[in-house]
Amino acid sequence: MSAISILTVDDSPSMRALLRHALTGEGHMVSEAEDGVAALDWLAANDKPDLVITDINMPRMDGFCLIEAVRAQDCFRDMPMLVLSTESSDDKKSRARNAGATGWIVKPFDPEKLAAAVRRVT
Amino acid sequence: MSSVTGRQNPDSPARRINVIEGSFNVSRHDGDLLCTVLGSCVAVCLYDTLARLGGMNHFLLAEPSVSDPQDARSLERFGAFAMEQLINEMIKNGARRETMRAHIYGGGMLRPGMERIGTANRTFARSFLEQDRIAISHEDVGGNTARRVEFRAASGQARCRQIPMNAANVPNPVKQRSSPVGDVELF
Repeated sequence: MSAISILTVDDSPSMRALLRHALTGEGHMVSEAEDGVAALDWLAANDKPDLVITDINMPRMDGFCLIEAVRAQDCFRDMPMLVLSTESSDDKKSRARNAGATGWIVKPFDPEKLAAAVRRVT
Repeated sequence: MSSVTGRQNPDSPARRINVIEGSFNVSRHDGDLLCTVLGSCVAVCLYDTLARLGGMNHFLLAEPSVSDPQDARSLERFGAFAMEQLINEMIKNGARRETMRAHIYGGGMLRPGMERIGTANRTFARSFLEQDRIAISHEDVGGNTARRVEFRAASGQARCRQIPMNAANVPNPVKQRSSPVGDVELF
């Protein structure tokens, strides 16, 4: 597949580094934000990415609030948003789906499954 | 990964729960004693006196490098995931970062050449907690002996004993998993 632009949102620097390694290895362009607030700032200042991958539990603004805030803006309604979280409960997934998430990936992620998910949603 | 949660009958018997490498456990039961034996590994104990629960993880290595195996199962050994899973489970059960306190144990050097691993593990634990703004109230790290740690999760009381490595008999529990690590679900 052709290279796409991806914004990763996670408060863990090591997780962002792992994601960057996995996604750039697939040829994608990766930008990073440390939490939901930083992600909204990034989205306001840059071209719309092809995909956002976000953690849930983060300081300042969590992933649920980020998804809701992004989906409230018309220009981002069709932008895929994947959740990447250590959690896997049905109620959390349901909340993410209702907020507008495109899918859910459980950490630690499998790079091949992540790449396949990216291909399917973009 | 394993986790135990839920308020139990106060009359239920005390449990001794072994937290093995690459796992974590969270409990709010007064009788639960979380236990582990450490060499160069690190265990972080978290407790929240307001929420009255605590937990312990046990990780082998700090952060994966790009040359490490990148499959999900291999990545479970690393502190990057162990810390996030423990904190998330605490928060999910009512704890807050502002009221959590942390203990750090382990990170010793039991054999020549292992110092780098132990140092990296304890440095990683400190920096992760500082970044997450969780206060560290106690550390027992470094040195060249193994440690046996017992942590009463609901109260935050801990006991750490340094022991000769040849006396560090690690129990052999069955490792349980509570989450489908690496799974993908598209909505």
